[in-house]
Amino acid sequence: MADFEPQLTKRFNVKDGHTLKGYLATGGYESLKKLFTMKPTEVIEEVKASNLKGRGGAGFPTGMKWSFVPQNTGKPIYLAVNADEGEPGTFTDRYMLFNDPHLLLEGIICACFAINSHTAYIYVRGEFYEQIQRLNAAIDEAKKANYLGKNIQGSGFDLEIYVHRGAGAYICGEETGLLESLEGKPGKPRIKPPFPAVVGLFGCPTIINNVKTLCSVPWIIANGAKAYAALGTQESPGTHVFGLSGHVNQTGYWEMPFGMPFMDFLNNYGKGVKGGKLKAVIPGGSSCPVLTAQECEDLTLSYESMKAHGTMFGTGCGIIMNEHTDMAKVLKNLTHFYSHESCGQCTPCREGTAWEDRLLKKILNGEATAKELDLMLEVADNMEGKTICVLSSALAMPVRSFLKKFRGDFEKYLVKNTVAVPEKVQ
Amino acid sequence: MAKITIDGKVMEVPDGTNVLEAALSNDVKLEHFCYQRYLPVAGNCRTCMVEIEGPKGNMLTVGCNTKVAEGMVIHTLSPKAKAAQKSAIEMLLLDHPLDCPVCDKAGECKLQNQYMEYGLYDARRDVPRYFKGGKAEDIGEHIMLDQERCVLCTRCIRFVDEVPKTSELAIVNRGHEAKIDIFPGVRLDNAYSGNVTDICPVGALTLKEFRFKQRVWFLKKTESVCHGCARGCNMTVEQNKGHIYRFMPRENPELNKTWMCDEGRFSFDHYQTNRAAEVRVGKENRNLAYGIDQLAKLLQDIPADQVAGIASPTAALEDLYVMKKLFEKRFNPKNLAAPFWDKPGDADNVLKVADKTPNRQGLKLLGFDTEGKDLLARMEKGEFKIVLMMHNNPFGHDEALAQKVYGKVNALIVLSVHQTKTVEKGAMVFPVRTFIEKNGTFVNATSRLQRFRQAFEPENPDVIESSMWLACLANALKVEGFDYVDTPSVFNAMAKEVEALKGLTFNSIPSTGVVLAGLASVAEEPFKGIKAQPNVLGKKCEGECSKA
Repeated sequence: MADFEPQLTKRFNVKDGHTLKGYLATGGYESLKKLFTMKPTEVIEEVKASNLKGRGGAGFPTGMKWSFVPQNTGKPIYLAVNADEGEPGTFTDRYMLFNDPHLLLEGIICACFAINSHTAYIYVRGEFYEQIQRLNAAIDEAKKANYLGKNIQGSGFDLEIYVHRGAGAYICGEETGLLESLEGKPGKPRIKPPFPAVVGLFGCPTIINNVKTLCSVPWIIANGAKAYAALGTQESPGTHVFGLSGHVNQTGYWEMPFGMPFMDFLNNYGKGVKGGKLKAVIPGGSSCPVLTAQECEDLTLSYESMKAHGTMFGTGCGIIMNEHTDMAKVLKNLTHFYSHESCGQCTPCREGTAWEDRLLKKILNGEATAKELDLMLEVADNMEGKTICVLSSALAMPVRSFLKKFRGDFEKYLVKNTVAVPEKVQ
Repeated sequence: MAKITIDGKVMEVPDGTNVLEAALSNDVKLEHFCYQRYLPVAGNCRTCMVEIEGPKGNMLTVGCNTKVAEGMVIHTLSPKAKAAQKSAIEMLLLDHPLDCPVCDKAGECKLQNQYMEYGLYDARRDVPRYFKGGKAEDIGEHIMLDQERCVLCTRCIRFVDEVPKTSELAIVNRGHEAKIDIFPGVRLDNAYSGNVTDICPVGALTLKEFRFKQRVWFLKKTESVCHGCARGCNMTVEQNKGHIYRFMPRENPELNKTWMCDEGRFSFDHYQTNRAAEVRVGKENRNLAYGIDQLAKLLQDIPADQVAGIASPTAALEDLYVMKKLFEKRFNPKNLAAPFWDKPGDADNVLKVADKTPNRQGLKLLGFDTEGKDLLARMEKGEFKIVLMMHNNPFGHDEALAQKVYGKVNALIVLSVHQTKTVEKGAMVFPVRTFIEKNGTFVNATSRLQRFRQAFEPENPDVIESSMWLACLANALKVEGFDYVDTPSVFNAMAKEVEALKGLTFNSIPSTGVVLAGLASVAEEPFKGIKAQPNVLGKKCEGECSKA
């Protein structure tokens, strides 16, 4: 992976890369020159042609999303930037915000120009205190240098960006939950339709994009969709910041084009599995179905390969587990998390997540039989795809994949198999 | 209109209707908790799951938030749809306290009813129950909250947000710990608070006035119209063995939707307390036949011009009609008026109007003088020996003025529902029926003719309708043309004579009333400035589909 130019992380090791001076010295805001010679529709077409996919987890084509905004409503159009990075196992946006806040601003300018928006909100996870400081500093600098505000660089285009600090709920990372939270309400996802592109923030057309999605746009504008599409694979063009955590010798994140074999990534960058052989991988944040070591053999880092393996690309940050991992306890961690983070609005999610958690607790306490395992699967079926947002599915998918692929880890806790009752789980 | 197919049944529904509404208004059963047709869609209970055929395969979704489209094919009974509906009910019941034996909602609880329809399985929650706590919290003048029974449908929250716009309620906490609560320091005391208990699909919100008073399955329900103000909200009288336990709003899409104010709702006790009980002639309690006989004898010797009639906007249209007819045929119609000295009450832009009588428009319709200045002036001079006072209470409203006006009258003949000050002054008193105990009609402030039906017979057979009493008197006086058998027959005779009522019969009046052409409205339409109808309604559907 030698011959590619980092797009997203190139300033991570540049001194003062997060300041306007450092940013401009390394080619910052260059894309704007070209941007302002284009028509907004041309920008959308360019991004469409690049086949850039949303990095937030769902992988929806960004250009297509932008084209959904109705331009004739007479209402303002908003861009909301989802910087509420909270998916367990995912930790790359925080570095983007910290090391290169101006790149995000440049991406926002490109996106707002394309969708004809003059106001953007960056919704940042409340815990990212330093990142919020850096973002605000960057916005101040950019305003002073006329990269934001009225008539940006003489283009006639106006844009204001505001940073909104979240209060720490996972569900506010869901796009409509984020909008509710931005409006000052509890972060409860909205029922769709209407979709936010039509009725979004404050009832106006709104586009919600992830941090890395927007950070990819300036490069596309500057270098063209063709150059971007040439990177990575056909279905997954461009580069991404991939992360590894869990039982690896070297945890961290690395930018590279899509398409690298997963095992190469794990062994060359993560320096191999720590403490034993590979047992399981959650490939893109905790809500993606788990993969066994065997399934990872021919896995590549791309949307299409993940899909072919019955899981999702998600956020591109893998959680690695070695052979000594007790998958039942891993799942308990997830059921606890999702039952705690459910907004409580839809019945199947509110009741289902808590039911799964209690069932698993019963199993781990050695009080359950095979009946409970089957019930967990059935409850998962009743949760998936039956709610307003996907949080319910985000637990149902791990439950089903864990129980299917690692049933033995659960069966050893069942009443007839338990020799000594293990420590009580709370 | 859009042509759609639900479970193989082809139907036409208005454009913009949602699938759930389309199903319910066409007699297709589809269960739901959070949907209330006069409140915005929340889509959170996930029980109205349907399968909709599409080009990319069938889609499982909620009916309430899916608008119909031409040619849409919907399945509510497919295995996938049934499984989703069933599992949603199971989840709603998961941590429910199942205290039905002591819950006032039992018998009209959606959770109970739907369990009978979709459940009947063995409980599968063999893990510890999650206790929400919050048992019987006093949250308002009329309202008790049981958080542990709540299914978090948010109907009550949407109601207080949308209709009275007072927003006292909210959900606190997240996930399975979420519960409905009032904001700290706030009480649920708005003028429409009782409605939250009607729309609560379970027993989480109950009325203090109804708690532990009566099991709902003993209640007999009668279509009626609220007597409390000139809005005339549609309601049902719910009683058992002649005791009224509650008034419940009855759906009328063109008038009160499914709402009514607390003032009207809790007025039920007024109609069963302090009632005028016995026929009184002079100082003695006698029976009705004797009283009428004595009155007829008295009237025989008095010149017709010395008899005046005082009617009231609280009387039914039929009472007023018979009184007018009696004065036309036997006495002098110029000596009949309806001065009613009440003070206007409070009004708002939701339902309440300032006029707190139910039938002032009815007086207008029949040409009554509602001021009676001339008549009262002559009364004061002592031109009248006998006054027939029907449902009016001048001594209660303004005793000094009444004494001045009526002081020279020889005999006040009082027809009254309640034991009033005017009753005390009466030379003869005849207790009559409330609107609950009789059939009849009112015309409301927006000129809507509305019918109310008799809920029960009063215990005392001498307590009869004013219209029938007047007919008895007419017959005793041997005046022709008063051979009415009951109130509906009075209405039918009246409809033949009164232009605005032509073509109507008592039983052909729609249960939601009919607006009378040619009678000007005297009040604003209800819900001014309030978006109380966020959903496109399907075909008219009365009763269960909307209320609970």
